[in-house]
Amino acid sequence: MKGKPSLWLLALVVSAFALPLAAHHGNAAYNYDKKITVSGTVTEWIWANPHCWLKFDAKGETGEVTHWVVEASAPPTISAQGWSHSSFKPGDQVTVTMIQVKNGQPIGRFEGDITLNGKPFPPHVGGPSGNPKDETKP
Amino acid sequence: MSTRAAFSAILLTALLGSLPLLRAQNAPGTTEEQVKPRSWNSGPPPKKVYAGKKSAPAPRHDLSGIWNAAAEGGVQAKGVLEHPALFPDHPQDDIGEQPDESKIPRPLPYTPSGLAALKGNKPGVGVRAVGPGLVNDPVDFCDPQGFPRMELFEFRVVEITQNKNQVMLLYQFYDNWRVIWTDGRVLPDPKEAEPRWNGYSVGKWADDYTFVVDTVGMNEKTWLDNAGRPHSADLTVQERFHRVDYDTLELTVTINDLKFYAQPWQALNKFVLHRLPDDYDIQEFFCVPSETEDYNKLIGTPASIEAPKK
Repeated sequence: MKGKPSLWLLALVVSAFALPLAAHHGNAAYNYDKKITVSGTVTEWIWANPHCWLKFDAKGETGEVTHWVVEASAPPTISAQGWSHSSFKPGDQVTVTMIQVKNGQPIGRFEGDITLNGKPFPPHVGGPSGNPKDETKP
Repeated sequence: MSTRAAFSAILLTALLGSLPLLRAQNAPGTTEEQVKPRSWNSGPPPKKVYAGKKSAPAPRHDLSGIWNAAAEGGVQAKGVLEHPALFPDHPQDDIGEQPDESKIPRPLPYTPSGLAALKGNKPGVGVRAVGPGLVNDPVDFCDPQGFPRMELFEFRVVEITQNKNQVMLLYQFYDNWRVIWTDGRVLPDPKEAEPRWNGYSVGKWADDYTFVVDTVGMNEKTWLDNAGRPHSADLTVQERFHRVDYDTLELTVTINDLKFYAQPWQALNKFVLHRLPDDYDIQEFFCVPSETEDYNKLIGTPASIEAPKK
């Protein structure tokens, strides 16, 4: 860390822009060091203030189903990025890149690429202006 | 034919007559090309859009307009630390390596009672971040942000409008608004007045382009920022809105609470707000208690459970 001050700085700047999610319940619960990608079938998309969340079911190798909940930013932030209250509907196939809570529960935050029914969906960007062109991520 | 000529003359006169109005609506330096005209639920453009923009001169005694506070970092997720006056060399630390506030370079001048109050506030972010189950940030429960936190956290877009007696600020975050009286009334004695979330505000023009607002009487239920900085009932706040030019407003916010801080300090220092187009539609941004409760049940609480020790 000491040998790479610019990276350290970058990490801090990035974390500073994670705000709309950080606004509630903070960052401490999430493992920011590891992104995971999970595919599944949408069961519910909740457009809510101050946070939205997506529920989907993912089947494991042995057929067991995990019920995932992935949180997004506030409606004003993500609607500026092309998301809406009707972005997802039950039965949609999604592949979600996220960070997961440290305790291993199937709870995450959108963090990176998303595929919806085989097509790219606007990635979740946590910039304070809610503008996808706002360069808040590396 | 003569009727048509007369009609054309009337039309031409009307068009020429409306030119000043058209010019006013398209004042130089506005960001209309960045925000789709007359669209709904607009998003504020980022900082780089404003680089090198030329602007018309500031109008006299006029703050009215829709202002972008997000572009220059008004969201301040981790508290007011990133401002150079407080944290000169590096941005904020969110990973909890400095849980002791006193180790922050140039810490705020807490009094012993201020430091004790700080320790009682458990933020979810910043150098004193605690686990999600321990956070006691009132905003997480949809309590009002109160003043001045509304300018020190999630300061996104604010519309300012004024009449002969008032300047009104409509803040996007949690759809909050406040009134600053300019009719010459004096502030109430905060020891007598009913405490308010947003306090009592009066303002006056210090010069043609600088509007100074004094606020007292805030209740003690609010935090100053997202990092859990406290204030007492003795808090008074001074805002200086300086209209630099048509498209730029600078805001300085000075915190004066001698019970909790040994000296006044600036939470915002010439913080820049950029003017948005007059047809910018501010998207609503409520905190909805029932939805927040659902969120807490589904995400907040399960995320707070400690993993079993292996």
